[in-house]
Amino acid sequence: MTRYIIRRLLQFIPVVFISTLIVYALVFAIPGDPIRALAGDRAMSEAVQESLREQYNLNDPFIVQYAKYMWGVFTALDFGTTFQGRPVLDIITQRLPVTLQLAGVTFVVQAIIGVIAGALAAINRDRFLDRLVQVSTVVVVAMPVLVIAFLLQLTFGLNLGWFPISGTGQGLRSFILPAIALGAVSMAMIARLLRSELLDALQSDYVRTATAKGLTRSRVIGRHGMRNSMIPVVTFMGADLATMMSGTILVETIFNLPGLGEQVFSSIQAQEGTVVVGIVTLFVLFFVVINLIVDIIYGLLDPRIRYE
Amino acid sequence: MTLPKKRSVFIGAGMTSALVLSACAGGADGESGEAPEDGGTISVYNCEPQYMIPGNTTENCGSRVQEQLFTGLTLVDNETYEAIPGVAESWDTEDQITWTFELSEDYTFHNGDPVTAQDFVDTFNWVVDPDNAMAGANFHDKFLGYEDVSQGEAEEMEGVRALDDHTLEFELTEPFGQLPLVLTYTSFYPMPSEAFEDIDAYEAAPIGNGRYQMDGEWRRDDGIDLERYEEWGGEEPGAPQRIEWVSYSDVDTAYMDVLSGELDIMPEVPPNRIAQVEDDFGENWSQNETSRFIYMGFPLYQEEYQDVDVRRAMSMAIDRDEINDSLFDGSQTPASGVLPGILPQGREGACEFCEFDPEAAAELYEEAGGPSTVTMYTDTGTGHDEYVEAIGNMWQQHLPIEDITYESMEFAHYLELHESEGVTGPYRLGWLLAYPSPQYAMEPLYSTDAHSNYSDYSSEEFDAAIQEANFADLEDSDELYQNAENILLEDMPVIPLWFQDYFIVHSDRVENVDMDLSTFVRVEDVVVTAE
Repeated sequence: MTRYIIRRLLQFIPVVFISTLIVYALVFAIPGDPIRALAGDRAMSEAVQESLREQYNLNDPFIVQYAKYMWGVFTALDFGTTFQGRPVLDIITQRLPVTLQLAGVTFVVQAIIGVIAGALAAINRDRFLDRLVQVSTVVVVAMPVLVIAFLLQLTFGLNLGWFPISGTGQGLRSFILPAIALGAVSMAMIARLLRSELLDALQSDYVRTATAKGLTRSRVIGRHGMRNSMIPVVTFMGADLATMMSGTILVETIFNLPGLGEQVFSSIQAQEGTVVVGIVTLFVLFFVVINLIVDIIYGLLDPRIRYE
Repeated sequence: MTLPKKRSVFIGAGMTSALVLSACAGGADGESGEAPEDGGTISVYNCEPQYMIPGNTTENCGSRVQEQLFTGLTLVDNETYEAIPGVAESWDTEDQITWTFELSEDYTFHNGDPVTAQDFVDTFNWVVDPDNAMAGANFHDKFLGYEDVSQGEAEEMEGVRALDDHTLEFELTEPFGQLPLVLTYTSFYPMPSEAFEDIDAYEAAPIGNGRYQMDGEWRRDDGIDLERYEEWGGEEPGAPQRIEWVSYSDVDTAYMDVLSGELDIMPEVPPNRIAQVEDDFGENWSQNETSRFIYMGFPLYQEEYQDVDVRRAMSMAIDRDEINDSLFDGSQTPASGVLPGILPQGREGACEFCEFDPEAAAELYEEAGGPSTVTMYTDTGTGHDEYVEAIGNMWQQHLPIEDITYESMEFAHYLELHESEGVTGPYRLGWLLAYPSPQYAMEPLYSTDAHSNYSDYSSEEFDAAIQEANFADLEDSDELYQNAENILLEDMPVIPLWFQDYFIVHSDRVENVDMDLSTFVRVEDVVVTAE
């Protein structure tokens, strides 16, 4: 097991190198001169523009820029700065907690609602609850996140006034609406996935055996049915937690949460290569770590899976 | 639909009426609580500032905060758009080249230091110093010695001198009557000597000499809180005791926050909300004319557009009122010149070829042999594509044009294409006045080789007219600038389209919410009517 984990950790190194290179290249490939655009309609004087370009290595060819960036990262833990001179590390330490809270609340919300809805639907197969879950999940999956976000803001923020519309001023409460918006689609997917898995499981031999042994229905479903049905759900939730980062770009912007997603969006627009690379690399790391954890959890859920 | 034009009821009301209002507001709005005696707290929408050093701030998000934190030598009178005393009590010049400014002794920085002439000298030199790479450096380019300092060949501008603690003398490279108006801009705010010791620390909590001072630090991506500075040297202190700027990443979200009462003032109602603003806010909104100019420029380096009749015909084939009504819900002011109508120098009906006349346009275009295929350019942004296409449709309908293609690209790419002279057809762009002078509405855009002259327009006649107006005394310059404008309206290097109106919405607990021509809410005049 330990050897397996070490091997997986070593694989991180090329992944990080390649992804930073690709992201840096993509930002570099965006047409236009970011320094010129910085001043908007009113041009800055040539001398000022030139000194900014020099400062951010923008006059160098791509590979030199990238090398200088990586050199800074490895020799001085210098992740570069924004065009406003703010260190990227500062931005990440300031914004990471917001994104992590959002991801955490989303994960919990979607797991609880998705699992409960899926289990209820399976247990009440073809009855009203099942139909309700099936129809509502289709509707949610079909709706763009943007629409869901606005509906939530309008209904629960503006009309009912239960949750704040924007910002992080009210602690955990501020994250509920964004979390539902961010997790809506996955929530529906989890419910549908669990429903079908659980239906399969409930018809399988080992569950019938358990029922025949005289176990209570709740124990049959809880211990035997659910445990096996959860494997694909956990895989899904793990992968989803990792890809959730890209969803934060939209949701954080709409709900005015100062997290990493919002920063990526504005930095791409401003062509701030170093900022985009810093944050996206973090997302990539997040992705591979989560995947590793999911793989380890497999082993715990299913004793047949063993890693060497 | 068309909204009735409603100007803010209190436009033109200075502080006197604001105070009267606050005095009786408590009675009128008694149900929602008493008006706070100290002026209360207001929360105002903002976008995240890029910088918080005045010399570096050329965008709106930072400028509107700094305008409260700092007081320049001169201020803008928002009724007449003239320069009025700020830190400078009076100024004098004989030849528009050498200027003497007498400074008031009443102004202090928020750290207690008196504001002296030397502070201005040091700040100006620091802003122009290329090592500091300040975005606003080139606003100083009329000062004698600007070139040397900005090239790194000298430390101090020869033309900026402190004669004593409270007398400043400026010497310019050429006569410039608009100087008092130019000095109202952010790039000319004074910084205390403390700032130069640690500029990063200073930027986190700028110490100014304005109506309001920082309460705490700039909370990045979150907000900035200001408190009234009770020692302010000016005559009309701010009405609210506290101003909280809240940074938003999305204007729609801010709009909803005002609706729910979380936020007091939002001055940039997004276009898609304008039709519903009256239903949502009843009386609590206003439509404000501004100097934000939207134009369709011609790449004069392309042969097809060098004939002035082609340009005139294209202008006459645009029905500005129709686009304003059907596309913008009446939220623009169709342009009748390149000078904003809101400036005292702006004139109704100055632009002969801006009148919609499809028959005459078609005839003129035909005769001049205008191109039969046209490519139109725009930068991507809210609604830009829509009106550019609407104009294209009108051209195709009214002019002998067979085919129109559209090129839409990110702003950085767009500017680069302009600078490499790669634009092959009419393009959209905008302009906003940094200070309320007709000079700034024209010189940077149309004089030969000016930095924002994307059309590559070059006219000796216009250059001479602008120079004559710049050389003239401020009092006598209005007509001279209008003469220069006339040349542009004949030559049509750009088609004036419209000036964008800004819609403010606000909560029930505030009133007297006005906007100036730079699109800034006059937050210092806002009256809080309930806790």
